[in-house]
Amino acid sequence: MKLIRADKDNFVFAFGRREKRLLFELLKLYPLVPVSHHRLSRSAKIGKDDENQRLLEESLAAQRQENKRQVLAMLHEPGRFKETESGFRFALSPPQMDWLLQVLNDVRVGSWIALGSPDTEAGEKILVNDETAPHYWVMEAAGFFEMALVEALSGQLPG
Amino acid sequence: MATTAIPEVRPDLGQDEKTDSESDLEPGYLVICWNDPVNLMDYVTHVFQVVFGWQRQKAEHHMLQVHNQGKSVLARESMEKAEFYVHQLQKYTLHATMERD
Repeated sequence: MKLIRADKDNFVFAFGRREKRLLFELLKLYPLVPVSHHRLSRSAKIGKDDENQRLLEESLAAQRQENKRQVLAMLHEPGRFKETESGFRFALSPPQMDWLLQVLNDVRVGSWIALGSPDTEAGEKILVNDETAPHYWVMEAAGFFEMALVEALSGQLPG
Repeated sequence: MATTAIPEVRPDLGQDEKTDSESDLEPGYLVICWNDPVNLMDYVTHVFQVVFGWQRQKAEHHMLQVHNQGKSVLARESMEKAEFYVHQLQKYTLHATMERD
């Protein structure tokens, strides 16, 4: 995945055929993070806790439904990926880039949760075996695409 | 001619009691982002820039605070606004919460 061109309206990426397949497989997994994973507060001192937590979960669920709808629309949109000699060209607007980042990061964090939320910064090792390998692979692959998108966006946001 | 009595409405000059909703309007809630080993540093910087409209330098400063100190206080807001920011950050799957100051 390589950024070919960027202006204020569009980012155009070149994709290899395998990269396109990989991206599609990742997007099909969305959403992976359980809505209940997010807590509004760590303390129990905020009033109307249960109600606020319920509202948070409802809001996130609605957001994910909308993201899922957009994922499916993008996967099936004719002309979204234009075939070239070496692969595909894929154009995204800045809001679509931001939305795609949200989706990919959900897949990355969801895979990490599926791996048992290992605290690698504290020295915990990720146990890779037949059962966990797919989660590990998905987490790393989502991170690869995220980095390409963030790098492309970093030239557009106020520096 | 009979005159119609106009009901007199007097302003309530009594001492207001502080209600929950009033205290919720005060900027007494901290929006905190916590460290985790999964969100990429550049991604976190990007999210801070988008959600708070910060320049990259400020966003990076807070990202590094999260990374090095375990957390960063991103804003001090009213309850409603703090909730809004936490929702936004969690939409991006960051580990964010709101806590009373």
